[in-house]
Amino acid sequence: MVATVGAAALVGLDVHPVRVECDSGNGLPQLRLVGLPDAAVREAGERVRSAVQRSGFAWPRQRVVVNLAPAALPKAGAGFDLPVALAVLLAEGLLPAGALADVWAFGELGLDGTARPVAGALAVADAVGRRGGRRLLVPDRAAVEAAFVAGLDVVPVADLREAVEVLRGDRAARRPPPPVAALEEPPPDLADVRGQPVARRALEIAAAGAHHLLLVGPPGCGKSMLARRLPGILPPLPVQQALEVAAIHSVAGVRPPDAPLSLRPPFREPHHTASVAGLVGGGSGVARPGELSCAHRGVLFMDELLEVPRWVLDALRQPLERGTVTVARSRTVVRFPARVLLVAATNPCACGHLGDPVRACRCRPGQVERYRSRLSGPLLDRIDLQVEVAPVDPRHLLDPPDGESTAAVAARVSAARAAVAERWSEGQTVRDAPARAVRGTCRREALTALGRAVEALALSTRAFDRCLRVARTIADLDGRAAVGRDHVDEAVAYRLAPAQVMA
Amino acid sequence: MTEEWEAIAAEGTDHRLLARVVARLLGPSGDPRTVLRELVARAVGAPVGGVDPGTLLAAIAPEPDVVGREAAAVVARRWTGLGVRAALAGDPAYPRRLLRGWPATGGPPLFAWRGPARGLPDGPAAAIVGARRATAYGTGVAAWLAEAAGTAGVTVVSGGAVGIDAAAHGGALGTAGGTAVVLGCGHAVGYPMAHARPDGLFDRVLTGGGWLVSELPPDSRPTPANVLARNRIVAGLVDVVVVVEGGVRSGALRTAEVAADRGVAVLAVPGDVRAPGSAAPHRLLADGAAPCCGPDDLLAALGDVATADVGHTPAAEDERRRTAPATVSVLPPEVAAVLGRRWPRPTRLDDLARASRVPAGRLLALLTRARVAGEVAESVEGVRLSRPPGRRGQGARRG
Repeated sequence: MVATVGAAALVGLDVHPVRVECDSGNGLPQLRLVGLPDAAVREAGERVRSAVQRSGFAWPRQRVVVNLAPAALPKAGAGFDLPVALAVLLAEGLLPAGALADVWAFGELGLDGTARPVAGALAVADAVGRRGGRRLLVPDRAAVEAAFVAGLDVVPVADLREAVEVLRGDRAARRPPPPVAALEEPPPDLADVRGQPVARRALEIAAAGAHHLLLVGPPGCGKSMLARRLPGILPPLPVQQALEVAAIHSVAGVRPPDAPLSLRPPFREPHHTASVAGLVGGGSGVARPGELSCAHRGVLFMDELLEVPRWVLDALRQPLERGTVTVARSRTVVRFPARVLLVAATNPCACGHLGDPVRACRCRPGQVERYRSRLSGPLLDRIDLQVEVAPVDPRHLLDPPDGESTAAVAARVSAARAAVAERWSEGQTVRDAPARAVRGTCRREALTALGRAVEALALSTRAFDRCLRVARTIADLDGRAAVGRDHVDEAVAYRLAPAQVMA
Repeated sequence: MTEEWEAIAAEGTDHRLLARVVARLLGPSGDPRTVLRELVARAVGAPVGGVDPGTLLAAIAPEPDVVGREAAAVVARRWTGLGVRAALAGDPAYPRRLLRGWPATGGPPLFAWRGPARGLPDGPAAAIVGARRATAYGTGVAAWLAEAAGTAGVTVVSGGAVGIDAAAHGGALGTAGGTAVVLGCGHAVGYPMAHARPDGLFDRVLTGGGWLVSELPPDSRPTPANVLARNRIVAGLVDVVVVVEGGVRSGALRTAEVAADRGVAVLAVPGDVRAPGSAAPHRLLADGAAPCCGPDDLLAALGDVATADVGHTPAAEDERRRTAPATVSVLPPEVAAVLGRRWPRPTRLDDLARASRVPAGRLLALLTRARVAGEVAESVEGVRLSRPPGRRGQGARRG
C-alpha cells in the first residue's frame, strides 16, 4: 500500500505543502529518498531508520521508497523526519489506514526517537491552518509557537512513540499550552536618559511618524542608549502583525520556539561588518531572512553607519523604500517583508572627536569633509531626522533624571498614530504617505515658510518633501489637523545643513 | 600679444618690462624667490637710498628668447581670460607697504591681482591669520574682528585657506575696507578647491569688490614652498597682524615672525588653554605680542592712520549703533541672552534648551527662523549669534 502524510517545505517565508509518499516492495532492505532532497533531508533516512527501531517498531525487511511530492520542488531542512517516519509506519500497516488523513507533521527526530523542534514551525502551522489542515503534529517545544494559529489542532509530541500512540488512539492527545501574547520584560526606559532633550524629541517624532533617524555624535555620547529605547515608545503590535514577525523570526531561527508571542516591535542591531546576505537575507540555495526582515515592524539599528561598506548600504536602499526584500538565488526567488524604522548612528568624523569641547579632533583638514561626504547621497536623503548628539556634561551626570518616562512619551506617540490612522487609513505611516496627501494638510503660510527656509539654508528639493512629512508628524504630536509654520520650522532643524555636513 | 600685455599692465606699469619679468619667472631659474635673491645681491652694491626697482628689474630680466616669448604669451592669454592685472615693484599700482626696504624685505618682483583695476588701496590694512583646523571660537572671533575692522575702513588681508582665513575674509565681505586674499598659487589654479568653486569664497570676494593676489605665474602649484612664501606678502601688505588660532608649527607663526621683522605690530587672540589651536597665539603672547581681546584692540594697534580718512571711527560706529533703531530679533530674550553670554563661543542645542528652559521642539523651530534670518550660525559645535550681542537693541557698550 502507498501511504501518504502531509509535510511542508519552507522556501524563504513561503510554505509549500508536500505529500510524503511511501511504498515498500521487493529488494534489498534499504531506504531510497527521492524528490529533490537537500543533504539534511537525504540524511533523514538514517535518522528515521534508527528512530523507528529504537521506538520499538520493526524496520521493513523490504526495499522502501519515500517520495516527496511535488518532485520538482527543492526540499530543505530536517522537518521531514517525523512525516517520513510516520509514512513508513503507515505503509507497514503499523498505523490504522485513515489515521493520517488531513494530518500534517513537521519535526526532526533523534536516533532514539525524540522529537526536536525545527525553525519555522509557526510559518508552517499558519500555512496548514489556511489550507484547511485538521491536525498538525509538532515536537513539544515547537508546539508553543504553532499554537498561536487559531483553529488548528496542534498536537505536541515528545517522541515518535507518542505520535504513533496518539494516532492509533491508544493515548489521548495532549493540548499545547494556551497561546500567550505578552509584552515581556519592559525595554529600557527613557527616564534613564539624562539631558539630550533634542535627541529625545527626535526619537518621539521618529516613533510617531515612522521616520528614519540618524544620530551623529562622538563615541560614548549615548547614541545606542537612545536607539534601544525606541521600541518601548512604539505602539505594541496587533496580534496579526506580531504573528507575522514571529513567523519570520521562527524561520530565521532567532526566536526560541517555546517563547510566548511578543507584541513588542522587534529591535535588531546588526554589527557594521555584517555581510549583504546577513543583512538583507540570502544564503546558498534557498535564501533565509536577514536582519532587515527580522526587524520587520520594528527597529533596525545600524551603528557606525559610515563604517558599513558602500555596497552593503546600497543593498539596504531599495528594501527601505519598498518595504520588501527580494533575494534571487540559484534555485528560487524569495521575497521577505522588511518594513522597518531605520535608526543609524555615526561618529561626527573619522577620529570621533569633532565638536567635542575638551578632546581635540585629530583629523587633518579636508579629512572631516571627506568623511562626512560619505554621509550624503541617496540613503541620507531617505533619513528624515538627522540629529547631532553631544556627550552629556559630566557635571550633570549625577543630577536626578530630568526627562519623561517611556510611558509618557508612548502615550503621545499612540495618540499621534491614532490621528494618522483616522485621517488616512489604519497602518498608514506619515513616512510613506503620498506626498500630495501630506501637502493637502498644510497651511499655505507653512509651505511658504518652508520654501524660504529651503532656499536660505541651501537644502535640496528632496529635503522639502521630507521636511513636510516631519512637520506633518510634529503637527500630529501637537494635536493639530493642519500643519502650521512652527511645525515646519522645527522640521527644518532636523536636516543637517550642508554647512554642518562640511563642519 | 603686445596688446594683451598692455591690457594686463596696470596704470604706470611698463608692459614690455612686465613681459620680460614674466618670461624670466618662467625660465629655468625663475621662481620669485630666486629672482629676489638675485635682486638683493645686485642691490647690495647700489648707493644707499638709490635703489631704483625698475632699473634693477630690467637688469635681471633680459629680452627673452623665442621659447621665453612663447611661454610669456601663454601667460598673457591665461591672465587676460581671468581678468588679471599686474604691476612690477616700484610701479604706482604696486602696494606701497611692500616697497618698504625693497628688495631686502622680500617684496615680490611681480604683483598680479584680480579685482578693482586700481589695485590695493594704501589705506589701513590688517592681516587676520590662523590655522586651517580651527574651532568655532576661532572662526567666530576671526569673523567678528574682520567685520569690525572692515566696517572701520580697514582692508582685511589673509591667506584664503579654510578655517580662520576663510572666516576673516567672510567677515570683511561687503564692508568699507574690503578684503584681499593672498594666494599660495597662480591665479589659474583653483586652490583650495572649496573656495575656488563657483559661488565659493573667492567668487564672493571678487563680486564684493575685494582682491585676489598672487606673485606667481598663473599655473604655479600651491607647493609647500609657495604657500609658505605667501605669508611674507600677507605680512608685507598690512600695518598689523592678528594671529587667531594655530598649532606650534602653524604658518600663522611664520607670518607673525616676518611681520615682527618688518616692524609690523603683532597681536594674538587668547584662546582656550586646552585647545591645541591656542599654542601659536599663546606662544606669541609669551614672546611679548599684544593681546587682542576685541576689535578695539585691533583698531587701537592700527592707531590714527586707520581711521584718519574714513568716516568709520569706533566712536562713529558706536554713535551709529546708539541711534539706529533696535533690531527686532526672532529669538525670545531668554534664548538670545544665553547665546549672548556665550558669544562668540557656540552653545550646544541641548545646553541651550536646558539654560533657556525652552522645550526642544519649540527651540528648534525658533532657531530655524533665526538661521533663515541670518541671526545665528550653526556648526557641529553648536549654535552662536552671527553678530556681537551688543547690536541687539541694547545700544552702545561705551558712553
